[in-house]
Amino acid sequence: MSTRAVAPPIATTRKKEFEDPKARAAYVKKFLPTDDADDPSTPRTRSRSRPIRTFVKIGFYKLILWVLYSITSLYFRARFVYNFILNRWFSVLYYHHKTPELIQKDVKQLDRLPQHVSVILEFEKEGGVEQLIDHVAEISCWCASAGIPTLSVYEQTGTLKKYISTSHRITSQRLHSYFGKKRPTLRVLAPHLPSYTNGDTEDLPEGESPDLEVIFISSEDGRESIVDLTKTLCEMAIRGKMTKDDVTAELIEAELESLTIPEPDLLILFSPSVKLLGYPPWQIRLTEIFHLPDNDAVGYQVFLRALYNYAKCEMRFGR
Amino acid sequence: MSSSGLRTSLRTRRWFSSLPPIEWLSLRLQEALIGALRQGPIPQHVAFVMDGNRRFARQSHIETTEGHNLGFEALAKILEICYKAGVKVVTIYAFSIENFKRSKYEVDALMDIAKIKLSQLSQHGDLLDRYGAKIRILGHRSLVNQEVLDAIDRATELTKHNNKAILNVCFPYTSRDEITSAIQSIVALAAPPRPHRQNLETLAEEKPEISDAIPENISQSRSESPASNTTSASTVVSGSPHTSSVPLREHIDFAGVRHRDILDLEDISEQTVTEHLFTADNPPLDLLIRTSGVERLSDFMLWQAHQDTDIEFVDCMWPEFDVWHFLPILLGWGLKRKRFLREVKLEEERKYNRNGNWMKGWEPEEYTHTKKAL
Repeated sequence: MSTRAVAPPIATTRKKEFEDPKARAAYVKKFLPTDDADDPSTPRTRSRSRPIRTFVKIGFYKLILWVLYSITSLYFRARFVYNFILNRWFSVLYYHHKTPELIQKDVKQLDRLPQHVSVILEFEKEGGVEQLIDHVAEISCWCASAGIPTLSVYEQTGTLKKYISTSHRITSQRLHSYFGKKRPTLRVLAPHLPSYTNGDTEDLPEGESPDLEVIFISSEDGRESIVDLTKTLCEMAIRGKMTKDDVTAELIEAELESLTIPEPDLLILFSPSVKLLGYPPWQIRLTEIFHLPDNDAVGYQVFLRALYNYAKCEMRFGR
Repeated sequence: MSSSGLRTSLRTRRWFSSLPPIEWLSLRLQEALIGALRQGPIPQHVAFVMDGNRRFARQSHIETTEGHNLGFEALAKILEICYKAGVKVVTIYAFSIENFKRSKYEVDALMDIAKIKLSQLSQHGDLLDRYGAKIRILGHRSLVNQEVLDAIDRATELTKHNNKAILNVCFPYTSRDEITSAIQSIVALAAPPRPHRQNLETLAEEKPEISDAIPENISQSRSESPASNTTSASTVVSGSPHTSSVPLREHIDFAGVRHRDILDLEDISEQTVTEHLFTADNPPLDLLIRTSGVERLSDFMLWQAHQDTDIEFVDCMWPEFDVWHFLPILLGWGLKRKRFLREVKLEEERKYNRNGNWMKGWEPEEYTHTKKAL
């Protein structure tokens, strides 16, 4: 300890501050900037101390925000116009003319086709059920022409489920107008409801599925079906037929698939932005989700571009 | 490491942006932008699928791990913007259970990165601490090795007192796994509690149907001391109405939600499942962003994102994702939300007008067209 005694006086006078951690912290604190200087979450304390300055600042920020929103809005409008023209152009270029051969020609060059396509349709007050069923019929025809065997139609409210036989009638009429007399066989079904074929599968050998299967689903096939499954599993567990460890992803997958729909390959939205509106959550794990920005219509070009996108195929502008 | 054109341009850009006046200006600009954003509606919960690190590395001829590192830098920047702008919860998809299928070399490298970055993030005075964010790891713990688990625990421990914001790191996570474990825990709650360990031996041979007896009777009793357990168990077996005493254990899960031990079947609802997910106490997911142009959810936040969440697919790799990609999305979201709020307000007003029956014959036609816009 003799070295200490020799140390310069400053060290001895400040010795306490250097050795005691608390005193050291207090000493150092004087030289540190105050903590809340750049903390964004403390404008309150500042507003109390400098009200006018904060007021001006908030006004300034609001002005900037207004400018930003205006720019964004302008950008969206410009994009809308651009996309609108583009979509129109595509829908003129690629029109099916109710001829399956044309649709087949359009999809011929694609390397892979989805086996199960799903679409989200929205019930609109103006069009009503007629419009909804009309869309279903159209999309079914495109699927049948392209050779896609399964189509599931999601409509949030479940209106479509009440019109299974009507949908079957209208869709088969539409198929008739596309294909003529030798139209593809069709089956319309919905989870928990008997399927409807109207004699379409009578000639088919036992166990063979029809050319096109249309499945109607709604929001009750989403979360509700999972909740129902949970209840069933709980019941079984209470009866001692299974334990918690028997609940696996595979089990849930199998159950949900039999209760609702299998996982679709491609989900086509006809809305301008991606919002799933309660679409069955378990089933969209790896589903490719397609939408066209600023598109609001159910059109053949959307369908076709979705297929091209799915096959990672470039679509030509000038046909 | 091959220094490609991109790499040098990156360096020059960095050098340029580190010049004092430029730095000062860009800081000011950012501050103004974020201050402005705070004045409008801001999503409370944002999720990111940080996709494209590998592809970015391949495109710019750098090593994969370097790509992941750059991805982390991008993340730090985005997190800062989020928290500054007032986002409460950020959820990131760091590692999928499916990713274990990648080469061992890459998985190990990713684990190393996770270890380092977790401790870096949670350090005192670093990003999370600055914005009062606590870190939480969502996922299947049993799949990662002890070393990484230790790093995870240390990080959560260090930041657990922060309460202004949350960073959810999904690390080995898939949404199906999450839903499955939620259902599992509900089943465990609803099915009678397998009697306590010490009772097991006494009960095992006597009567297996004990499970049927408990749920009906359990509601009668709430507060018996666990000491009376053994005796009570025997009463259950004998079928007396005073089965009572399987004490209703309450447990508090990781999210701090209190659960009753036995669940009535009729009480199981969507809410129950939501409460058993990893994100139980988070606000609903407002915005989900996926980079790299892949338009899939890839088993991420399926339950949380399939209703009202705005999903944005961005056509750039994650390391390239910066303020200038993020800002338009936030602004677009804000605009949409503002429009939505205005609509709700109008709807309410209209309802009020109709009910109050004043201003007869006045149809707010000029407002209906706003509904269609965008």
